[in-house]
Amino acid sequence: MTENPSLVGKEISGCEILNKVAEGGMGAVYKARHKALNRIVCVKILSPALANDKKAVELFLTEARAIAELDHPNIVNVYNVGKEKGYYFIVMSFIEGQTLSMLLKRNKVLPIGLVLDLFEGVLLGLEAAHAKGIIHRDIKPSNILINPQGQPKLVDFGIAKKVDKEKGSTKTTELAGTAYFIAPEQALGKDLDTRADLYSVGASLYYVLTGQFPYNGKNTIDIIQKHINDPVPNPAKLRTDMPGWLSLAVQKLMSKNPDDRFQTAKETYLYFKKMRAEDQLRVKMGNSGRAIDLGEEGPLRIVKEEKKTTETIRKQRAEQAAVRRPTTSSAHLPLMPQVDTSVPKEDPQRGRQAAPQPSVRMLDAEAVKPVDVFVPSRKRKEKSSLVNQVGEKTRLLLKAALFIPLFMLLAGGVAYVFYLLGKICSVHVIAQEGLISNLITPFFAATYEPNQLLMTAIAVGALALIFASSAIHAFSRSTSWLLILALVSYMAGLFTPQVPFMELANVSQFVFTPEYYLCYLVFIVAWIVGLCWQINRTWGQGILAASLTVLAMVLVYLSAHLTIAPDAQSLAVKLVFYAGLFCAVLCVYYLAARSEKDRILLPCFLLAAGVLGIWAYSVSGLAGNINQTLDTLTKSIVVQETNSVKSVKKTEQLIGFDSRRQVFASLNKTNELTNMPDDEAYTFLEHKIDQEAPGVFKEDTKPLFIYFLLNYYRGGENKMKFYVWDYAMSYPVKNFNSNAQRNNAYFFLLSLLYVFGIISCAGTIFFSEEL
Amino acid sequence: MSSFDIEFAAVTDIGKIREKNEDNVLISSDLGLGVVADGMGGHSAGEIASNIAVSVLAETIRKVNNQQLKIPDNFLPKLDPVERKLLMAANLANAAIYSTAQSSDIYRMMGTTLTGVLFDKDCATAVHVGDSRLYLFRDNKIVQITTDHSLAMEHVRRGLLTRAEADHSKIQNVLTRAMGIKKNIEFDLLKFPVKVGDMLLLCSDGLYKGLRESDMAALLAQGRQTPIVKLCKHLVRISNENDGQDNISAVLIKILPAQKISFKQRLRRFFSKA
Repeated sequence: MTENPSLVGKEISGCEILNKVAEGGMGAVYKARHKALNRIVCVKILSPALANDKKAVELFLTEARAIAELDHPNIVNVYNVGKEKGYYFIVMSFIEGQTLSMLLKRNKVLPIGLVLDLFEGVLLGLEAAHAKGIIHRDIKPSNILINPQGQPKLVDFGIAKKVDKEKGSTKTTELAGTAYFIAPEQALGKDLDTRADLYSVGASLYYVLTGQFPYNGKNTIDIIQKHINDPVPNPAKLRTDMPGWLSLAVQKLMSKNPDDRFQTAKETYLYFKKMRAEDQLRVKMGNSGRAIDLGEEGPLRIVKEEKKTTETIRKQRAEQAAVRRPTTSSAHLPLMPQVDTSVPKEDPQRGRQAAPQPSVRMLDAEAVKPVDVFVPSRKRKEKSSLVNQVGEKTRLLLKAALFIPLFMLLAGGVAYVFYLLGKICSVHVIAQEGLISNLITPFFAATYEPNQLLMTAIAVGALALIFASSAIHAFSRSTSWLLILALVSYMAGLFTPQVPFMELANVSQFVFTPEYYLCYLVFIVAWIVGLCWQINRTWGQGILAASLTVLAMVLVYLSAHLTIAPDAQSLAVKLVFYAGLFCAVLCVYYLAARSEKDRILLPCFLLAAGVLGIWAYSVSGLAGNINQTLDTLTKSIVVQETNSVKSVKKTEQLIGFDSRRQVFASLNKTNELTNMPDDEAYTFLEHKIDQEAPGVFKEDTKPLFIYFLLNYYRGGENKMKFYVWDYAMSYPVKNFNSNAQRNNAYFFLLSLLYVFGIISCAGTIFFSEEL
Repeated sequence: MSSFDIEFAAVTDIGKIREKNEDNVLISSDLGLGVVADGMGGHSAGEIASNIAVSVLAETIRKVNNQQLKIPDNFLPKLDPVERKLLMAANLANAAIYSTAQSSDIYRMMGTTLTGVLFDKDCATAVHVGDSRLYLFRDNKIVQITTDHSLAMEHVRRGLLTRAEADHSKIQNVLTRAMGIKKNIEFDLLKFPVKVGDMLLLCSDGLYKGLRESDMAALLAQGRQTPIVKLCKHLVRISNENDGQDNISAVLIKILPAQKISFKQRLRRFFSKA
């Protein structure tokens, strides 16, 4: 072994280490020469692995000192204990002999007299140790040294084992004691007393006398368990020359119950002495060394008696076993393994097979006991579940029957109100310049229509209703959907009637106003703030948010720079739109699912609405105001004014941001259309359009444009506004077939949200915690 | 890996009085593996032994999965591949601990318990040695799947002690089998089907000394809705409050239906840090 290679040759406590004799788990034993006394000693060194364990060291030293005090001829002498050079050591006398087990191996059969002589010595040594309160714990033939004078000496006083033991809860794979000689109580982990050593003496005696272990098994556990459970074997069966009293004594020492054994080593010793003296008397002379004489006589005389006695002892023991064991755990009486009392009655030799294995039922008494900690909450739970169970289904159905139609009504109403509101706003957007003022004013002022104020009031009322309904459990989740629904309805309202204007917006240039920048800023700031609100945001979420933001910006930028009319939209444009829509919906869902806080949804709604709105707004051509649209469209088809010589080309030159007002001012004057009847004027304009811009307008949109222009030229700016208003509110949707696709997208979104909202509402009702 | 969705959680605690934590736990959802190892012996080597056990086991399984390592053809050919994989990994871990223990005096006498469970399809395969335990919680009942390799439990098996006596016995800590003590040791290999709703609890002796089985069952039943990590921590905390004499480790595994993974969970899993 590699450990402490340097120790050999070193000096510890005045002893020169000569060579290693043995090594165990707890340390190594060296042969050494005590320099001062000039005698050979034995030095035991505590394993360095344990040297740092204070408790272990303390016990090592305490017990070593206790043994040192003993000073008994049958116990190995301890000269010194202590610590030097970092090593804990015990210096003991070196015994130049052999162990009892070695002796046995060499001689096969030992004379009974010799064995008894040796064990008497052992018992005396034990008695001395026991008097000091030291339990050996590991008596076995290999721990009995016999010096050249034939004197037995007990070694290895369980020092290390004791240390191991005292470490208590530390796990180990070693049991203190040796399986072949272990006392049942030791094997069961019970408290030990000095009588455990007596059992081991008995087992050792059995082994030394018969050459066989009292119990054999396929493994250590098996052997240990046989010590606990199997009937005591009869050594006389294996050795015919054994006196009966000795066989009985061995069996008595090996009793399972310590109370049935000899109670002290002294008692045992005295009994041995007495019986040997009796034997000697009976033999009347003879060689105590020739035990065969005794043996021959012993069994002959005692056989009957012995059998009887053994039987009685066994019966008694069996009874005790049956009665006593349950009392150790009286509460668990019925659950105890049933000890088969018939076993001891069998022939001990045959009875050595594996003990009956009773099926051990688990102890359920504890399991039934309620756990204190859980009592209150469990009660609460039971109570609530009890309430739930009473008419749970009917309650749910009632709830659903009440709330789902209510939600459908509310959602439908909200969608309709906001749709109308969007329509109203669209008129303002068309009629006036700018974006923000047009989107906001309709909510606060009734400029153009008397019922607009009412509409605004209704819309605000609907919003209030949504927020109020969020207080109702069933609606708490659906509120989000209601809000989105309102928004999308508003958008649909805003854009649906203007489809013809979208077509009109065949503009080649797009005016990018600062208002757009403001919109982007608002949306993005709202979005980022929303994300910052979020708790437990992971990097993945951050990346998603960032990419979505970038995507939205790119999308908005792209849409804003679209110069293609909606009808002529390429696949790429559509893809961008639907990707944007998908992303918006995804992040709404994602964030809604991640957090219960509805406020987080707000920036998402804003983003979605922003993307959607800006896209639609820019593509529809509303981005340029109505004047721009008109300017663009009229550039080539302005009718000649009666009182002026301006040509068409000159009009086109005049169209510019600064001069626009003037153009309109001039247009307000009378022209050739002023007094013309409607039919004629219509034909005139139709002709003009075909002439100036052939193929620009489709057949269904051309009449609209003509009426639009007619009013414009006849009534000037204001007249046109009202005309557009009337038109926007009344023009049947079926006339906008060319844009059915986009309308469908809006209405699909609307219905989707509607359905989501209903599902969400139902989900809240049925799985209140799940959604 | 598995036809279920399996959630793992692991907690280990030093306890109230120990100076160091000799337990080691490992969970890996890509391997479908949960392991508890409770080290012992020597001055400082307990945690080394348990660490080797856990890491060698996981590493071997990973390598076998990646086909970097091949199980010898004559290695228990009668067992199914998962069992062979697990057993070989455990054997290698034992060999690693044993050779380390022999290599130096510092590591002398070190050893460890090992209880691991590997999921494959709808079965769980457990490898076990020592006194750590694997519990199966099903239908509000908790059942100990493994048998402790302790002398006390051997006595219980033979009817020499009652379970209650064994729980308070001094020889509870005497193991009859452990890793790293011998070159070749016998592992318990258990294969059992799992089903949705099951919870598996692997724990070191510290946990069950402070927590009766009935309490465990009550806690697990009560915590069905709570996140598994929270529940696992709760178990360890309660045990620590009750006893705390030893290191406490627990691995809690929950079997969830595969199809029931919500979009939310999928997203969360996708974005949460590994």
